[in-house]
Amino acid sequence: MAQEAAAVIPARLAPRVDEHELIRAVQRGDQNAFEALVRSYDQNVLGMAFNLLRCEEDARDVYQEAFLRVYRHIHSFRFDCSFHTWLYRIVTNLCLDCLRKRKIRKEEPAVVETAEGPLDRTYSVEEERAAADPERNLCNAQLAGRIHLALAALTPRERTVFELRHYQGLRLKAIGEMLNTSEEAAKNCLFRATQKMRTVLGDFS
Amino acid sequence: MNCTEVLDALALYLYGELPPRAEEEVEAHLHGCPACRDALDAQQRLHHAFDRARAVPRPDLVAECRGELFRRTAARPGWRQRLARAWDLTRVRWVLRPAGALALVAVGFLSARLPLRDSGLLRAPAEPPVATVRWVEPDPSGGVRIALDETRRRVIRGSLEDRLIEKLLLEAARDQANAGLRVESIDLLKDRSGNDDVRQALLQAATHDRNPGVRLKALEGLKGMASHPEVRAALPGILERDDNENVRILAIDMLVQNRDEQIVGLLQGLVGQEENSYVRMRVRSVLEEMKASVGTF
Repeated sequence: MAQEAAAVIPARLAPRVDEHELIRAVQRGDQNAFEALVRSYDQNVLGMAFNLLRCEEDARDVYQEAFLRVYRHIHSFRFDCSFHTWLYRIVTNLCLDCLRKRKIRKEEPAVVETAEGPLDRTYSVEEERAAADPERNLCNAQLAGRIHLALAALTPRERTVFELRHYQGLRLKAIGEMLNTSEEAAKNCLFRATQKMRTVLGDFS
Repeated sequence: MNCTEVLDALALYLYGELPPRAEEEVEAHLHGCPACRDALDAQQRLHHAFDRARAVPRPDLVAECRGELFRRTAARPGWRQRLARAWDLTRVRWVLRPAGALALVAVGFLSARLPLRDSGLLRAPAEPPVATVRWVEPDPSGGVRIALDETRRRVIRGSLEDRLIEKLLLEAARDQANAGLRVESIDLLKDRSGNDDVRQALLQAATHDRNPGVRLKALEGLKGMASHPEVRAALPGILERDDNENVRILAIDMLVQNRDEQIVGLLQGLVGQEENSYVRMRVRSVLEEMKASVGTF
């Protein structure tokens, strides 16, 4: 099954010779190689965790736990799937666990209602860039707030599939393998997610 | 396909996840149905809105996370690492095993009581070098010989205007062993594509780097120079050969910024061969706006 997953990963994610050497060096206990391997992937891992969880603390925790698991279990990595698939399976499962725990705890939402409509409290990066244009900043935050509400209407699984397909650009077959399910189930999940969000957001202009 | 079926299929169509046959049916229907084309436009606007609402961590968060992670892993190697290192030691040629083991015990004994830095074996006036033991062997005189690979780390600070900083960043942008380093270097250089050396480095990365993240970052850096002849000359090759859809999406957006007649042939060719729905639709709409036929005959 893992080999099938590797087969559907686009060429950009195919294992590369230099990466194989790097992983073998990590398996021999080379700390510098581990740091180089982390640097190759960690911006994307952190970006995905932050966009999916929209909480800095949770994204930090996922980052630490994901790479610590890589560090602890790299010796069991046998190159029967790409390192990218292996790493993202770890990250995806950690994010899913976090989303599920949140649903149970019903934590404070990242979106707050204001007189101008819902605002996304995590919307910080664009704020800096748009600081010179407060009106545009407000519009962006409102847009982010509406979309955040739409995303919050999804189940953890739907949210994760949407993240992996829309933001990470992974094919549904690979997503199915990552989540230990079929391509068809991932497709249905994505379909339900987009339908729900269209219902929440209505026509968007 | 009727309108209901097409509307249900649009989400997967936009992600390029429909089987080829269904995709053709959707396109045939869209061609003759303005209402479904409107629905498609609405879904595309929704996609763009999702892209704009992407939450991005603050820039220094990744450095903080790395710092914490590297402190944790350097301080306490996992038991598998320790086991693996021990296993590696058993691969020493059997004739050297007893001597090697003795030597290692001696090294361990000494290193536990006499840190290398303080012993004078390593001379590190300012900053201790990172050392990796390559081999150990008993010395004929009764001592031990140890080969160390040393790397000394130095931190340099300076402005992007500084020629040395720029040169180092250009070097780092070409470091084939470390894709993360290339991404970060190009990210820092990307606002300087007006500079010839930087533009050449970005072009090289956008067209030849093996890592799609690096290619995408380099192409983003060239966005402001989309009308520069060298950049325009590189875009058709990227559209034809790059296997990453995000790179191709950015390339088509850059190419159609300047709509001259020379791109019509390329765009017509792309309609037939491009597998990404967004790129295909973008090409079609540009051709229609340029009053050119969508296909070649």
